[in-house]
Amino acid sequence: MKEGSSSGGGAFAGGSDPRQPSTAKPYAPPKLSPQDLPIDYAGFLAVVFGVVGVMLRYKVCSWIAIIFCAQSLANMKNFENDLKQLSMAFM
Amino acid sequence: MAAPSWIRLRPPRATLLILLLLALNISLSFAANFEGFDSDDLPSAAGGLDADDDEEGLDRVDLPPPPPISLSTSAPSPPVTTTSAPNPNPATPATRDPTPALDLWDEDEFEGIPVPEAIPSDDSAAPAEADTSDPSAEAPAEAAPAAKRSPAELLRAFSVEIACVSFLICFVLNYFTGKRQNENIALAWATKFATRDSIFDKNFSLLGTGDGKDTPLLLKEGQDVFKFYASGRRFCQGMLATMEMRARHDLLSKFVELVFPRKDTITFEVVMNEEAMDHVILAVARKKAAKTMQKEERDLQRFANVLTSAPAGRKWVSDELAVVAESKEVAGDMITEAVLDQVLGEKAFENFGKWFISLHLSDQLAGSYKKVLTFKFVLPDASNMSEMTRLVALVPYYIDLVGRYKLSSHARSKTDGARTKAAQEAFKEMQSARQEALQRKKAEKKKLMEEADAKLSAEALRKKEEKERARQMKKSGPKVKMLRS
Repeated sequence: MKEGSSSGGGAFAGGSDPRQPSTAKPYAPPKLSPQDLPIDYAGFLAVVFGVVGVMLRYKVCSWIAIIFCAQSLANMKNFENDLKQLSMAFM
Repeated sequence: MAAPSWIRLRPPRATLLILLLLALNISLSFAANFEGFDSDDLPSAAGGLDADDDEEGLDRVDLPPPPPISLSTSAPSPPVTTTSAPNPNPATPATRDPTPALDLWDEDEFEGIPVPEAIPSDDSAAPAEADTSDPSAEAPAEAAPAAKRSPAELLRAFSVEIACVSFLICFVLNYFTGKRQNENIALAWATKFATRDSIFDKNFSLLGTGDGKDTPLLLKEGQDVFKFYASGRRFCQGMLATMEMRARHDLLSKFVELVFPRKDTITFEVVMNEEAMDHVILAVARKKAAKTMQKEERDLQRFANVLTSAPAGRKWVSDELAVVAESKEVAGDMITEAVLDQVLGEKAFENFGKWFISLHLSDQLAGSYKKVLTFKFVLPDASNMSEMTRLVALVPYYIDLVGRYKLSSHARSKTDGARTKAAQEAFKEMQSARQEALQRKKAEKKKLMEEADAKLSAEALRKKEEKERARQMKKSGPKVKMLRS
């Protein structure tokens, strides 16, 4: 059953190979502008808590900032490797 | 002689001053810490300070209330300090006397030094408290290790740090384990469906995001998104499968997912060749999801409606599912017996429905590509990857089905009408946008001209006006004649 459906494309084509190497196109990664990137909530929160921690001298805030920093780092994609937030939060 | 000696004396005095101030601060903080031990000495200081430190204040409750004079929470209260030698003498009277500033002033020869600190604290207790609250609130944690505390107290003092550091350690450990889990699922999928003699190998000539043979099959984007690309097949330009895993690597997201559960999903997007896809707009999903799709996707919103009844005399999709289509004919032709039998029919859906999210075929998709087939499935665990074989098989099946499909002339006239209408609207929108741009340009030109006019000298303006008047006279002359004749 599974096999039948998996090669169903081929069966429909009358047994011919559906592959067409001549039309193969290499992968073109979509161009992303920095504005279109999803918002880095964790990084934003890290900065907010970092600033609050520095301003009001709450240690807990600074620690929360570091934790959010770690989250933002963990969720970092390949292209957006800005460590600004990290330094901001560590201040 | 006197002057140099004074000068020589000055720096030590300044340093002494600074030292004294420091000692004041430190001693204050110590007082805040240790006032519980020498309670009989300083009831007033404790009474003044307990606004800052709640715990000490609570300890203090059963003691006799502080005397009323004690509003003066003069800073140099502590007798414990051995570092600040000159202080204790004035300190003890300072708490009792109504004029501690004067005492300080006289006994120490640091003239005018304690005044700025003592006087405000005497005049208004509240701001002085506010001033002292900062260091005293901060100091306990820093002073704690210096004054060898018991482990329990240490634990309490550093509870925040301990909690945060242990959480961070958990976070890091979870990052690596979660990352590996996600990778395992993605690799299991790839070995099942994209290796030699698997479904995609049989259907596509190019697998993976590279162009050579030895490139990795999967492209990793972040820790929870994996992409698989395939190309080189009839009817279509390429296929991109995007696996979106749960954020297993992220402990915080994991907590969020406890409240809002998510599933691993895989989305296949097949870009069809321009000439290989007729007018087909169809979506299948669970009833609720289908309704939201119909509202949110522009092509469905514009061209398609939710089918209320199945085509007569046919087996149809499971009751859980709803079909959004442009016409009944398209829906009937696209949802074939084979598809019903394999996945979408009543019986098959009981087994495989849990892996199915949606299916969306469209030749009018809003985006960079118009003719796209989109399939959304739930990813099973790494160990039961074979359960979604049938669903994955839908992808090549639909590529061929759609690629071969030709609408009947009757249905085609209808869809043609809708599409030309849509195209016209799009064209109009474009034109109006273009016109707006043109008008804006014109307005800018006019503004420039006006500015230039304003710059012209008055005489030139007059000349121009005269010329224009003459021209108008000329113009109006023959017109009148024409009218009369």
